[in-house]
Amino acid sequence: MLDRGTVPGGQHAAGGDPVSRHRVAGTAVSAGFLAVCPVRPRRAAGPRPGTVRTVLRLGRRSFADDDLLVMAIVNRTKDSFYDRGATFEEDVALERVRAVVFEGADVVDIGGVKAGPGEVVKAAEEIRRTVPLVGRVRAEFPDLVISVDTWRSEVAREVCRAGADLLNDAWGGFDPRLAEVAAEYGAALVCTHTNGAAPRTPPHRPSYDDVVVAAIDATVALAERAVSLGVDAESVLIDPAHDFDKNTWHSLELTRRLDEMVATGWPVLVSLSHKDFVGETLDRGVDDRLLGTLAATAVSAWQGARVYRVHDAAETREVLDMVASIRGTRPPTRPVRGLA
Amino acid sequence: MITVAALVSHPPLLFRELGGASDPVAQLRSAALEALRALGEAADHVVVVGPAEEARIWDPGAGVDVHRFGGLGERACRPGLPLSLGVGARLLQEAGWTGPVDLVSVRSSADQAELDALADSLAGRSGRTGLLLMGDGSARRGSTAPGYVDERAFPWDDAVAAALAEGDAASLAGLDVTLAEELMVHGSASFRLLGAVGLRCGPPSRAALTYRGDPFGVTYLTALWHLPPR
Repeated sequence: MLDRGTVPGGQHAAGGDPVSRHRVAGTAVSAGFLAVCPVRPRRAAGPRPGTVRTVLRLGRRSFADDDLLVMAIVNRTKDSFYDRGATFEEDVALERVRAVVFEGADVVDIGGVKAGPGEVVKAAEEIRRTVPLVGRVRAEFPDLVISVDTWRSEVAREVCRAGADLLNDAWGGFDPRLAEVAAEYGAALVCTHTNGAAPRTPPHRPSYDDVVVAAIDATVALAERAVSLGVDAESVLIDPAHDFDKNTWHSLELTRRLDEMVATGWPVLVSLSHKDFVGETLDRGVDDRLLGTLAATAVSAWQGARVYRVHDAAETREVLDMVASIRGTRPPTRPVRGLA
Repeated sequence: MITVAALVSHPPLLFRELGGASDPVAQLRSAALEALRALGEAADHVVVVGPAEEARIWDPGAGVDVHRFGGLGERACRPGLPLSLGVGARLLQEAGWTGPVDLVSVRSSADQAELDALADSLAGRSGRTGLLLMGDGSARRGSTAPGYVDERAFPWDDAVAAALAEGDAASLAGLDVTLAEELMVHGSASFRLLGAVGLRCGPPSRAALTYRGDPFGVTYLTALWHLPPR
């Protein structure tokens, strides 16, 4: 079992104690071995001093560092790529919240604007779509973590007033005042890597010296800025943002090397669900990407990601429970075989 | 003397190792290679011109940094050639060209004086020179296109395609740079340069648009002009 309190994600590379940082699955690996035989040059991936956190605070809830959280997507949009308006009506969206809570969601992520290009949704309309729903969910589920997916500070302010706990700034700090709103209302914040893309912009030939380093540098900078503005350091997540200004190769590499992001010490959120990198990897349409999504989910969980933004709450919960048990952080539900 | 000029689009997918198990741009690749083989037959020296953030001459041995875009290969060739010149160099290699190559980048927003100076130097070269110009049409041609939909993309691409097909150098030379930027055209300077060269060398003896498609919302083009002997 990983010594996760010492080495979040603890797979490799520089920083910290040379023996403990290479202690993987209970086996101490000589520091000299990796120093001589690097697979490829990587950034110093050890947690930065003072950044190792054990508790994640989202609103009134606190989560241990081995809790794996399901964040269920609840779209009040007409045109999001996967649900295509299925929960646009407020009552239907509330029903969706009830369903995903029953399925094991720890967080709901309410969105009023499609991520990709499409119908223009102004701030007033986004507020109209999100704020009343946040209020109704808050009233019905006092302990449920409510996240709102928005890049606009004016929307963030209104949803915080209505009871939102978490601001999912999916467009990477495009509106710098959003983090100020999080600080003002004591909300948690997701800091996302979008490579400077304007909201709702698809990628066009993005390229990186090193996509993982770019994602780490950008999200850690946003996280540190948020803390400097007064956001609780235990309430900041980082998200590499698969597919956002990235091609499929980039998103695969981010998934493959997610441990480097985990090693920053900031809790990592991943949003993988039915995305194009899954579809392009397996040549599957948006409705046929669940297995690929769950495979990526398992790999991410194994590497230490903490929060999973998904369409399929029940399936994700089951995968995360299985990974947690393999990691040794969750006992099996019914371990009778050979023990009777 | 420019004897022949080819215009070829330069999506990263033309690096075959980025396209996965299939070749998503097989038609473009086929047309591009055919054009480059024809270019090679009519030239002893090839100059590749493509868009980049800075105007300069590049070392043909600089290599291509495909890894910036992905793939499974090892990192190499940092910083490497700009995308447009990297694709051009790779296609020349795939077309079997083994002769001398010059690589020149131009800024998409290059002003007329810059393009005129470059066109003068190209048109004034001795020997049989083939000019390979790298450029795309608009990337705003559909709801899943990189730049979504801009209705102005369709007439703009139509006009460029017609000018390439007809050997209409004046139309290419006069393209609207600002509009091209708004339509997410990569390499409008290449079209303008082809126009400027055509105006200096005289109307092409043969001009053909050999491929036009937009399978992913970006217009891809290949064209070949044979320029008159002087």
